[in-house]
Amino acid sequence: MLLIPCPWCGPRAQVEFTYGGDATVKRPAPDAPIAAWVEFVYMRDNPAGPHDELWQHSAGCRQWFRVRRDTRTHEIQGSERPDAALPGDAP
Amino acid sequence: MSDPVKPVLDTVVTSGAVHFYISQSDKGELVMGGDLDFCNSYSQRGNLPVIEHVVSACLALFPSFGRLKVMRTWGGVCDMTMDGSPIIGMLPVKGLTMTGGWCYGGFKATPASGWLHAYTIARGEPHPKNAAFTLERFARGQTIDEKGVGPVPWAH
Repeated sequence: MLLIPCPWCGPRAQVEFTYGGDATVKRPAPDAPIAAWVEFVYMRDNPAGPHDELWQHSAGCRQWFRVRRDTRTHEIQGSERPDAALPGDAP
Repeated sequence: MSDPVKPVLDTVVTSGAVHFYISQSDKGELVMGGDLDFCNSYSQRGNLPVIEHVVSACLALFPSFGRLKVMRTWGGVCDMTMDGSPIIGMLPVKGLTMTGGWCYGGFKATPASGWLHAYTIARGEPHPKNAAFTLERFARGQTIDEKGVGPVPWAH
C-alpha cells in the first residue's frame, strides 16, 4: 500500500487514489501529423527508477496532481500540484 | 498461496468477471492470482490492496475457503500493452519476430501462442489467427481492445 501525499489533503492511503499515468506527455497541436498523435496516445517510456506520474485523489478532494515515484522501490520522492515544479525539475 | 489442505479443487478455475484464478498445488496449497497494481512498477513484491481484492474474489467464488490462511504472496512484472492484447508476429526489422505483451494472459495462452509464433517464423508470415496481433496495429488504429476501455494499460 502506497502512502500518497496529496498536496491538498496530506498523506493518504493508496486506495483513495486513481492512477493517471505518465505526467510528462503533452497533447499535440490539433493539426499535428498522425505520427505525433500515435506517439501521444500509445507510446510511453516505462523507466525503472524515478517516474513522474499523475494521480487523482478520487475518493478525497478529487484533485489531480503530480507524483515522482521510484518504480523499483515505490519510494515517493515528492508530490506537487500540476502547475508547480517537483524537486529537481528543470526551471 | 494458502496453507496446504487435502484435495478440494481438481481443476483450474479462472474468472474474467472478478479477475481471479485458483488451482491446488500437488502439496495441497491453493494458489491464487489476480489483478494488477495499476501503476508502473518493477518492485516485484505485490501490493496489499491487490491481495485484498484477490482474497475477496476467492471468497465470492468459494466461501468455504474462508478458514484458510494466506501463507505467502508475491508479485511479478506484467508486460502490459496499450490495448490489453499481445503482440505476435513480424517486426519492422527483417527476420525478427516477437511474441510478447501478454499482459496477465500468458500462462494460459502459451501453448497456442507458441504454435502460432512457430508458424510465423517458419512461413515468414503470420497465421490467420495472429494476423491482427501486429506491432503496427496501434499506428494503424486497428487495436484489439476486447473490452473497449481505451488506450491505457491499467484499464485492462
